Amino acid sequence: MTAVLEARHLSKWYGNVLGLSDVSLALEPGITGLLGPNGAGKSTLMKLLTGQMKPNLGQALVRGERVWNNIPLFRDIGFCPEADAFYEEISGWEFLTALVRLHGIGRAEAAERAEKALGFVELLADKDRRIRGYSRGMRQRLKIAQAIAHDPAIIILDEPLSGLDPLGKRKVIHLIRDYGREGRTVLVSSHVLPEIEAMTLRVVLIHQGKIFAAGDIPYIRDLIEKHPHQISVRCDRPRDLAARFVGEECVLNMSFGPEGRSLLLETFKRDVVFGRLPGIILETGIRVEEITSPDDNLQAVFDYLVGK
Amino acid sequence: MSPGDDARKGWIRRSAGRVLGFFFFLGRRAKKTRVFVLIGLLPVIQAAAIKTSELGRQAPAGEGLAIFSNFLMIFYLQFFLVILTLFYGTSVASEETEGRTLPFLQTRPLSKPGIVLGKYAAYSLLTSLIVLVSLLASFLILAGGRLGSGAAWGIFLRSAAVLLLGVLSYTAFFTFLGVLMKRSLFVGLIFGFGWESVISFFPGSTQRFSIVHYLKSLLPSGPRGRFSFLMFRLEPTRPALALLALVLITAAFLGLAGLLFRWKEYLAED
Amino acid sequence: MATIREQGYSHWDGRLIERKRPWWPLTTLGIRLIFRKKNFRLLFALSFIPAVVYLVGIYASERMEDFKFMVRGSAQLLKIDPAFFKSYFTLDPLLFLMVMLMVFACAGLISDDLKHNALQLYFARPLGKRDYLLGKSAIIAFFVLLLTLIPGLVLIIFKLVFAGSFGLVRSYPWLPLAVIGDSLLLTVFFVCYTLLLSALSRNRRYVMVMLFTVYLGTDIAYAIMHSIFKNPYFALLSIKANLQQAGAVLFGQRPPHAFPAGLSFGVILAFCLIAAWILQRRVRGVEVIK
Repeated sequence: MTAVLEARHLSKWYGNVLGLSDVSLALEPGITGLLGPNGAGKSTLMKLLTGQMKPNLGQALVRGERVWNNIPLFRDIGFCPEADAFYEEISGWEFLTALVRLHGIGRAEAAERAEKALGFVELLADKDRRIRGYSRGMRQRLKIAQAIAHDPAIIILDEPLSGLDPLGKRKVIHLIRDYGREGRTVLVSSHVLPEIEAMTLRVVLIHQGKIFAAGDIPYIRDLIEKHPHQISVRCDRPRDLAARFVGEECVLNMSFGPEGRSLLLETFKRDVVFGRLPGIILETGIRVEEITSPDDNLQAVFDYLVGK
Repeated sequence: MSPGDDARKGWIRRSAGRVLGFFFFLGRRAKKTRVFVLIGLLPVIQAAAIKTSELGRQAPAGEGLAIFSNFLMIFYLQFFLVILTLFYGTSVASEETEGRTLPFLQTRPLSKPGIVLGKYAAYSLLTSLIVLVSLLASFLILAGGRLGSGAAWGIFLRSAAVLLLGVLSYTAFFTFLGVLMKRSLFVGLIFGFGWESVISFFPGSTQRFSIVHYLKSLLPSGPRGRFSFLMFRLEPTRPALALLALVLITAAFLGLAGLLFRWKEYLAED
Repeated sequence: MATIREQGYSHWDGRLIERKRPWWPLTTLGIRLIFRKKNFRLLFALSFIPAVVYLVGIYASERMEDFKFMVRGSAQLLKIDPAFFKSYFTLDPLLFLMVMLMVFACAGLISDDLKHNALQLYFARPLGKRDYLLGKSAIIAFFVLLLTLIPGLVLIIFKLVFAGSFGLVRSYPWLPLAVIGDSLLLTVFFVCYTLLLSALSRNRRYVMVMLFTVYLGTDIAYAIMHSIFKNPYFALLSIKANLQQAGAVLFGQRPPHAFPAGLSFGVILAFCLIAAWILQRRVRGVEVIK
């Protein structure tokens, strides 16, 4: 199948700062998750693929054509930007209908499409309110609405789930999955693995402007599973807690925090440790202030994968 | 002309048309437009004050028109017009980059020169309306008993035409400035109130390196009498040439703005 | 139990102290951010040109023999007296430069905070509205006083040094007070003027235009009305004329316009009071949008 979105040796500098380094990617119809920590280059890649920026080296192609200043391509592209910016003095309805009409769609049809999109993101009741009065979640939903209202075949969404409540996230995830099933090309970025996981199995990992892993999620998970997890427990008697865990097979390694008020456990079986922990706490009467997983984030995963 | 050129021109035209509609609507809604309309009432209030004082004394015939042709034209030509066109002209590019709304336009099937042209047209239309309504109200008050006279309306129509040309040419220049640089407003203030004022004191052809020179060259030769500040040190260009110069200035700066906007990439201001 | 302002996600183990001037960090940060703008430094340097010119004038006044060829018949121009200082403080270019500084550097003081909803962040800290406005005012006061009070006092000091005597202050003992008084008048006015316009919009570019427009527009309105009616009272319309009228009185000089200078003080005072009232209403932690 020919690639719909393609990056060929894409590189982008912001002055002396490297935003993207020799990125090559070919995305076919379906959903692709773009996963990376903040500052990894996800937005840069998306802006290059949507023709908002010119690459310094390489090419950004949509359906085999360079996207920069290629106007006809934009009929079929819908983009949801990450930035929270609008024309604040008009209502959601006016904003959406105007943007749909910028596609050359007639007034009546634009109204119909806007209504459908607003209905989907559950903003119909507030459509006549000025955007300046919208909450964070409403603004995010409006951004998604303007990306889908003109029914594009290619949808690029930059952190679409940020600011949404769990129900809102669920709805958007279902929409994206529907689009994938219809054969549209969707590129979604996030720094939260479970969100991407809920939408698609196909992910691209980006870090420091480079693609260093691309493939199915099980493959990524496998890489992560081989790397031990850390659990930190901040309490009043860390040594007593350590004494209870020292005999547990699931614990690989233990150490104490620098101030001696926390215990750091390393394990391959995180779920087992979390299962044992409440019981031990109740039995010993230890006063726990905080339980965290210091490495349960994409940065740690990437550090591990990059180090590998 | 190649099919490609035709297609490109078609895109520019269509894009400009769509963008014009949207931004004219946005501009009408904006609070700042209302403030500028209020500022435009200043000469109307002055005209009313002047007319009221005329009722109490024997004003020489034609004085109202002389005041209109000279004093109020100073307000419009050397202040109000420049302020309005500076603000709206530089906004064409700056408000999208500063407001981070540029992606909404860039990711639509709109030609970039068409976006510039469309916004330029929308803001020029808005500015023209603000200026002309104010000008008409001032004229109606000051012309008073001479409204039946063709000569009086001739002065008004010519003044209005000059101001319209001013709107088009200044907005085009400031649009180019806004596309070219970040601190366009500041540079525009220096140009509009520094260069344009100072240049009139220079002799010979130096005056021709300003927009206001050509506008003043087109002003009607109405009654002046003791009021002739507007034409101070003016070495006018022939009207036909002045008109041509203004059209060329407008076309050139708009063209450059469109080309530059197409070529440049804008990074969001953080 | 710690007050709500002292609670946070990151626990700092140091002692929280009550600042005598909670607005001070606002001022220092604001000034630092303004100086970071490249082109501002050039404009700020240029705005000292009038002070340098007047300093040269003071030098020349003590070296009249050397400069006789330049000031032939105009020796009166270089008489260093309150009129000399009044002419500096009411100089058209100086007032214009101060407006340009406000346009370039201070237009976004409140409007940027409104745009980014930062007022909630400020007022979630032990900082009241008064402190917030004081902090912002101090930024403007810093720049205005650097162009008025400091050069004014420096000119007096240099005159005393070049003259080698205290003749100036013996003849006009109230002169330093006049310098301080007019500097404060200009400072209070520009603080109220700039903060008022900055608080009226979330768009910094629009505020920049309005700062310039209102200053210039009032002057043009006065010029037009005065040229037609020849009535000096129209000068009350002009910001510049009122500042010059008040300045002349403070330096014991004849006011430039033929009407009681008290009216100009009244106009300036009324403007500042209205500005303060509007600022109290506009600067709010929470904005209700209907």
